[in-house]
Amino acid sequence: MDEVLLSVRGLRTEFVTRDGVFAAVRDVSFELRRGEKLGIVGESGSGKSALALSIVGLIEPPGRVVAGEVELNGRRISGLPDRQLQLVRGKEVGLIFQDPMAALDPVKSIGDQIVEGIRRHRRHLGRREARRLAIELLREVQVPFAERRLADYPHQYSGGMRQRVMIAIALANEPDLIIADEPTTALDVTTQAQVLDLLDRLVSERRTAIILITHNLGIVAEFCDSVHVMYAGRFVERTTVEQLFRAQAHPYTEALLRSVPRPDRLQRGPLPSIPGFPPSLAHLPPGCSFAPRCPAAQEICRDRAPATVELVSESTPVLAECHFARERLRT
Amino acid sequence: MSRDQASLLQVEALEKRFVIRRGPWSRPLVIRAVDGVSFQVARGETFGLVGESGCGKSTLARCLLRLIEPTAGRVIFDGVDLGRLRPPEMRALRRRMQIVFQDPFASLDPRMSIAQIVEEPLFVHGIGSREERQAQVDATLELVGIEATYRDRRPHELSGGQRQRIAIARALVLRPELVVLDEPISALDVSIQAQVLNLLRDLQEQLGLTYVFIVHDLAIAEYFCDRLAVLYLGAVMELAGREELFRRPLHPYTNALLSGVPIPEPGRRRRQGRIILEGEVPVLTDHRGCRFRSRCPVGKDRERCAEVEPRLEERGPGHRVACHFPGELVTARP
Amino acid sequence: MIRTVGGRLLGSLAAIFGASVVSFLFLRILPGNPARLILGPLASQQAIQQQVRLMGLDRPIYVQYLRYISSFFSGDWGFSYSNGRPVREVIATRLPASIELGLYAFAFAFVAAVVLALLSTYRHRPVVDGTVRAISFFGLGTPPFWFGLLLLLAFSQALHLLPGPEGRLGPAVAPPPTVTGLYTVDAVIAGQWGTLGNALQHLVLPAVTLGLAPFAYLVRLLRVNLLEVSREQFITVVRSKGVGRWTAYVRHALPNAFLPTLTAGGMVLAQLLAGSVLVETVFNWPGVGALVVDSILRQDYAVVQTFILLSAFAYVALNLIVDVLYGVIDPRVRTPTGAR
Repeated sequence: MDEVLLSVRGLRTEFVTRDGVFAAVRDVSFELRRGEKLGIVGESGSGKSALALSIVGLIEPPGRVVAGEVELNGRRISGLPDRQLQLVRGKEVGLIFQDPMAALDPVKSIGDQIVEGIRRHRRHLGRREARRLAIELLREVQVPFAERRLADYPHQYSGGMRQRVMIAIALANEPDLIIADEPTTALDVTTQAQVLDLLDRLVSERRTAIILITHNLGIVAEFCDSVHVMYAGRFVERTTVEQLFRAQAHPYTEALLRSVPRPDRLQRGPLPSIPGFPPSLAHLPPGCSFAPRCPAAQEICRDRAPATVELVSESTPVLAECHFARERLRT
Repeated sequence: MSRDQASLLQVEALEKRFVIRRGPWSRPLVIRAVDGVSFQVARGETFGLVGESGCGKSTLARCLLRLIEPTAGRVIFDGVDLGRLRPPEMRALRRRMQIVFQDPFASLDPRMSIAQIVEEPLFVHGIGSREERQAQVDATLELVGIEATYRDRRPHELSGGQRQRIAIARALVLRPELVVLDEPISALDVSIQAQVLNLLRDLQEQLGLTYVFIVHDLAIAEYFCDRLAVLYLGAVMELAGREELFRRPLHPYTNALLSGVPIPEPGRRRRQGRIILEGEVPVLTDHRGCRFRSRCPVGKDRERCAEVEPRLEERGPGHRVACHFPGELVTARP
Repeated sequence: MIRTVGGRLLGSLAAIFGASVVSFLFLRILPGNPARLILGPLASQQAIQQQVRLMGLDRPIYVQYLRYISSFFSGDWGFSYSNGRPVREVIATRLPASIELGLYAFAFAFVAAVVLALLSTYRHRPVVDGTVRAISFFGLGTPPFWFGLLLLLAFSQALHLLPGPEGRLGPAVAPPPTVTGLYTVDAVIAGQWGTLGNALQHLVLPAVTLGLAPFAYLVRLLRVNLLEVSREQFITVVRSKGVGRWTAYVRHALPNAFLPTLTAGGMVLAQLLAGSVLVETVFNWPGVGALVVDSILRQDYAVVQTFILLSAFAYVALNLIVDVLYGVIDPRVRTPTGAR
């Protein structure tokens, strides 16, 4: 097995709002190995985007990382002064964001925006050389007429092409880790397939590890090796993709899987839906945060937050935060 | 003009062209957003309009309700040609056809209370006394599963799913026969989508509604619709019943769309070799031959596809396809 | 795009026409006969009638207007009633002083607005932000002449740090040889560093006073725009490349926040023009603004008329320049939209 690239321990991120302090990321721990493709699944408000930004120290006030450690390549990067974190961002970690329309500076050319990332970490490179690299990157992400399109501005690119530019920016300095936050959600089905395909090829070629944040379980199934399910700021289930789709240790995972119509089989009848709506992080229930919506919730679920249960199912390790995880996997 | 007695909505060769002027001296650009679309929707059925952004599905929906004026073609609602109606007659007919928009955050007036929002259509159409309207509002709110305690709240106090329920209540308070659903769940959280879909289906059964469902997500289209039309650049590429369309897709575009949908089952699709289309949806102005040709894995280099625009032809029971080589490209289906 | 440019041109012409009508009627509406104003209370009826004919005041009003407009465009702006010199000459001798003051006031307003807007929005610091907002509130609500008097009291009378209201230079300092008419520039050209220092000292208080309103206006606009832009996702993207906070802010947030501010250029000029009238008087600044006040007091309306019309021209010209500039700076306007 490959060595550990990223290790996150007890990460906690809080936001101060008028309604009080709430934690978007609540003591999250996980490890990622070199070349691994990890999916983080969650709905809006589950804290998945805050987690991505917390890892690279990009949480902005009124948010703040209040606890936890992040280690990258065996070096602790959490708590480093921003000046040193800047050397990590864009060099060791590349980020890809959801909305390609909003992710590029509208008044700077595409070329300038790629070159900015290259020259930030390779100061010895001249403008010319950096531009040549930018053209190469654009070719690699399959932007047609890369050389001519370097001087164009974002509004002259389509959504799919902008997302390719984003990928080029993230890849510019050949990072060990890419964090992609909903990279295809804003794209059409056919474009989404192109972009995922491209991303898959690029990270496989370079043995880049990737954290793919999404709400789409289909994308996780196709793209990822392992998967973490996030609910109300915590990982409620962590396992491999194969295991997750075979049997779900957490009722939320199960409900999530069943509530989405499968594109590969015809079904009629009502969809098994999850009642209620995701909890507000400012007002979490006292026990298990999924208890109010859980069809199998018992007394204990409403009283006590479940601890992490470590299990092995068909020789695959499963970590779940449910009082009944063991029973659920056995049946 | 013969008319299918069972069909509530009949669309014939509908066109909507937009003219874009870049300047007083440059040649005006004609965009064919809807380019000769025909279909019928039977009473009580759910008809799906599927396609990617820019395929003209939202423009088409608005043309159906005459929220925008079509350039050519006819929309016949319950035997009445909407194009021939005078404004007061159209207004009266509007009661029978309603629309639910995609974004429940933008489509509700933030200053109005829930009860006011739902009551407004009744008020506009001058229906009932104050008490009768209130009773109707309460009944409709109950129908969509919103508790009466929410009556005086404002939209911002509600979650996305609740807001979409309010938007549905507003559409249903007039007890319409046809409801156009323009991507009603795509702005909602995954765990909420199923709730709203189930609600829509219950309401259809209870009230005998006819739906035109605009959707980009094929899995949801397959789940929810009885018959579907796949749109590309303003025209129907394929039209069939859901089982026929998803079991035996004949148009290369339909196949590409289907194979692009990730399937929540590890390792499945990657092994099967998917069709990945090149390029992106172009802007259609004037064209020759098949409008899908520039991205088509089948017809890209075929002369016939470049020369002759394929017509929508019957290739199976109720299954019509606009392709010279239907069924040549097939994705494996379970 | 072209259509909007046409619209703007039409609007500009309308603005100039409006200003010309106002400045023309200005003279006719005022009480008293202009001819009598010129000739004085002792002139005979005959002399006045002759003067009326001479000035064309007996012709229909539209003929008078056309005559007025055509002579304005041919550069004949009439004579100053009070000293008999051509208006054009009178204004020309006063203009450099006003331009110099205006430029320094603008520079102050601009630099202070950018710096304070950056400070108040960069990082979440309520105290700094509150202070900046208070200053801008004060600036927008304070009459410039009153603020000027306060500054004079504080820095000249009490602290003796800066000269009092003695105009552009101290009484013992001779102006530098005229090249541009701007004393600071001319002093540099002539290498007269003492004169330069003296001119700068005299500029500080009037420039700050005149710049206060435009500064307050600009800082408010910039602050709001910066807050909005800094929340945009592309700023986070820039940061994700490893670019520092401040660099990302100045290199990406500022230009984007600046674009909408540019359109306020016309408003700023209007504030400077209007402000100059009183501020120059307070500081004894020998500029056009003070000239206008003097002319009003002396009922020398030809000068006032010309000032109004020239202001309209300046306003329209600046707005056109801003439009063009906007096109040059914003690529979304400069280059055709649409995916290829």
